[in-house]
Amino acid sequence: MASLLDTSKPRINCSMLSQHIGRGVCFVGRVEKVHPTGKTFSVSDGEGKSATVELNEPLEEELSGIVEVIGMVSSKGVITTTTYNILREDKGIPFDLELYNEALKVIHDFPQYYPFEVAASG
Amino acid sequence: MNVPLTKGAVEALCKGLDVDKPVLQLLNIRQISNASSPPRFRLMMSDGQHSLTSCLLATQLNYLSEENLLVPNCVCLLKKTTNNTLADGRRVVVVMDMDILKSAKETGGKIGNPTPYNTDGKTSSPQKVSSSTYVPESPPSAAVPGPSYRNYSSPRGRGGSFTGKTPMKASPMKASAIKASPSKGLTMKVSPMKASPMKANSASPGSSAKVNPIASLNPYQSKWTIRARVTNKSSIRTWSNSKGEGKLFSFEIVDESGEIRITAFNKEVDKFFSLVEQGKVYYISKATLKPANKQYTTLKNDYEMTLHAHSSIVPCDDNQSIPTVHCDFVPIAELENRDKDAIIDVIGICKSAEDVSRITTKNSREVSKRALSIIDETGKVVTVTLWGEEAENFDGSTQPVVAIKGARLSDFGGRSLSALFSSTVMVNPDIPQAFRLRAWYDREGFAVNSQSLTETRSAGTGLNMNWKTLSDIKNEDMGHGEKAQYFSCVATVLYIRKENCLYQACPSADCNKKVIDQQNGLYRCEKCNKEFPNFKYRLLLSANLADFGDNQWVTCFQETAEALLGHSAETLGHLRDTDEAAFDEVFQKANFTTHIFKNRVKLETYNDESRVKVTVMEVQPVDHREYSRRLLQNIYKLAR
Repeated sequence: MASLLDTSKPRINCSMLSQHIGRGVCFVGRVEKVHPTGKTFSVSDGEGKSATVELNEPLEEELSGIVEVIGMVSSKGVITTTTYNILREDKGIPFDLELYNEALKVIHDFPQYYPFEVAASG
Repeated sequence: MNVPLTKGAVEALCKGLDVDKPVLQLLNIRQISNASSPPRFRLMMSDGQHSLTSCLLATQLNYLSEENLLVPNCVCLLKKTTNNTLADGRRVVVVMDMDILKSAKETGGKIGNPTPYNTDGKTSSPQKVSSSTYVPESPPSAAVPGPSYRNYSSPRGRGGSFTGKTPMKASPMKASAIKASPSKGLTMKVSPMKASPMKANSASPGSSAKVNPIASLNPYQSKWTIRARVTNKSSIRTWSNSKGEGKLFSFEIVDESGEIRITAFNKEVDKFFSLVEQGKVYYISKATLKPANKQYTTLKNDYEMTLHAHSSIVPCDDNQSIPTVHCDFVPIAELENRDKDAIIDVIGICKSAEDVSRITTKNSREVSKRALSIIDETGKVVTVTLWGEEAENFDGSTQPVVAIKGARLSDFGGRSLSALFSSTVMVNPDIPQAFRLRAWYDREGFAVNSQSLTETRSAGTGLNMNWKTLSDIKNEDMGHGEKAQYFSCVATVLYIRKENCLYQACPSADCNKKVIDQQNGLYRCEKCNKEFPNFKYRLLLSANLADFGDNQWVTCFQETAEALLGHSAETLGHLRDTDEAAFDEVFQKANFTTHIFKNRVKLETYNDESRVKVTVMEVQPVDHREYSRRLLQNIYKLAR
């Protein structure tokens, strides 16, 4: 799974999940519900749609606010997490998820101007 | 002779039906004498079957008769006619526009054998009046029916003489006593008709004067009639003060000569409120004129009108000559030059509109308000605030043309406009300026990076918020004009010169002149003409800024320099003398920091050499969200 971190991980939102099945992605969203087992939780994106995120090990900390999840999209549309970051709300400028969503749309509408594909060798 | 007349046209016209361009033969034409104003001609037209005598020539066509183009037996095409019903129910056809198809000579003689068309007693044929003279001064409606009834008594007789071979002329008429009166009677009847609608149309009995221009109204003349369009109608307002209470509504009207405000109180409100509709044209007469109370109106008229019990307002169908609205639009860029609180008219495309919000005013009244941004061909944008119902009903989603008459200019946020109670807000008005704006906007306007006169959330006053990139400085030859140009940009500091960044300045407040070290422990300031034992350090930085496109050397004075470096001039001065390393560190830390710079650029000449100089007026941290939004906006614009 570590090799996932060497490939490019396009940023996506829920509507783009289906196009990236089997690929590594980066998903930023707001934590909605955490499953009691701590191994899975749901996130909502800037458009309000929800996706499910699965973890390898159960959560050890309280998860809330906006997180950035890097992982792979399974065939069922669930993101299998390799790693995640919490974008802390008490530090820095509050993250504007809707604005992020707008930017995402632009990036995907004009891929010719946003060539994020890096050679796998890094 | 060969031109076919439109059969049945007379019958149709008598019945008040519309006939499309009937071809009729003129049997007779007679001038009606009336005391005031231009002559009126009465026509007797035939369609080969019937003849129509109650036919009038609109005064604008008088020339046809005066130039002897309208000769009995000529064949005419009636391009435009209007049907008028008099107070007593009789119909008169007024010819507004006609062409002469065949002259009388070519036609030869009367076509067919037309009989006068009879519409059960109320014929169009002229009526008899027993009294021989009936000078039509100001015949009230009452007088009209009187003689007319007597006229009706022998329509046939009249008609008979009409269909006589002899063309109708004034003199033969007078020859027979009976005939004499009818003509006069007709005259009398005709004049009320003709009186009110100068350009035809509408039964406005009782007004003998022709239509006066609004500009001529004054309190010293009571007999007048105006014809004008309602441009703005207010809702009914009630008041209650020490003298009692009451209600009023007011409206503004416009005609070719000008505009005036009309108010109706109490009883007149009930009478006229439902009758008067915005956009429609009315004949108005008998109202009181008094000097205008400028507090309540912004119209350019010294007077205003109040309706009273005898006032008359009659709808008019003839709108051709009345302008829809008198607007004196000010280009948005010019708004900066107008005084605050000025009342102006403006027109522009609504680029965006905020949602309607409810506000509680000082008087604890709840009112709706909506702010829109409008842009015009000058490329400038201004915020307009709408209130109340107008705010609620406004829909800016289609980027409509918005025209506002009588908005107040305020200096809120630089310059902004507010719709007053008396303002008229028109969405997509039917005027040429609107179409021009629409065409301009669709072609180029939507992409114009407009400058708003009204302050937005972002830093900087409205006037100066002009976003550029560093490459624009060279590409647009900024600063080359007479006046310095101001712009804002997002840029990164690449390098700041350490040498000569500090200078010794005069310690007196407000004097920043460099002092000369007298070497005796005293420092001399030339400006203050004094010597001081001390000085204050001031910063004067030369920095290189860059963005994706270009780099630019700029000058930063004290305030902006301190903001960039994060230290005061004194501290830095001290550091420079004590801790070299720390001093360097300050400069290092400033490198590659990104800020929003507000700059002034100007072409300056120094000893034969001209250079574009850029000075930083203000340094602000980058508001990433605002910056992102701006970038997204630009992308969307480019994507169109």
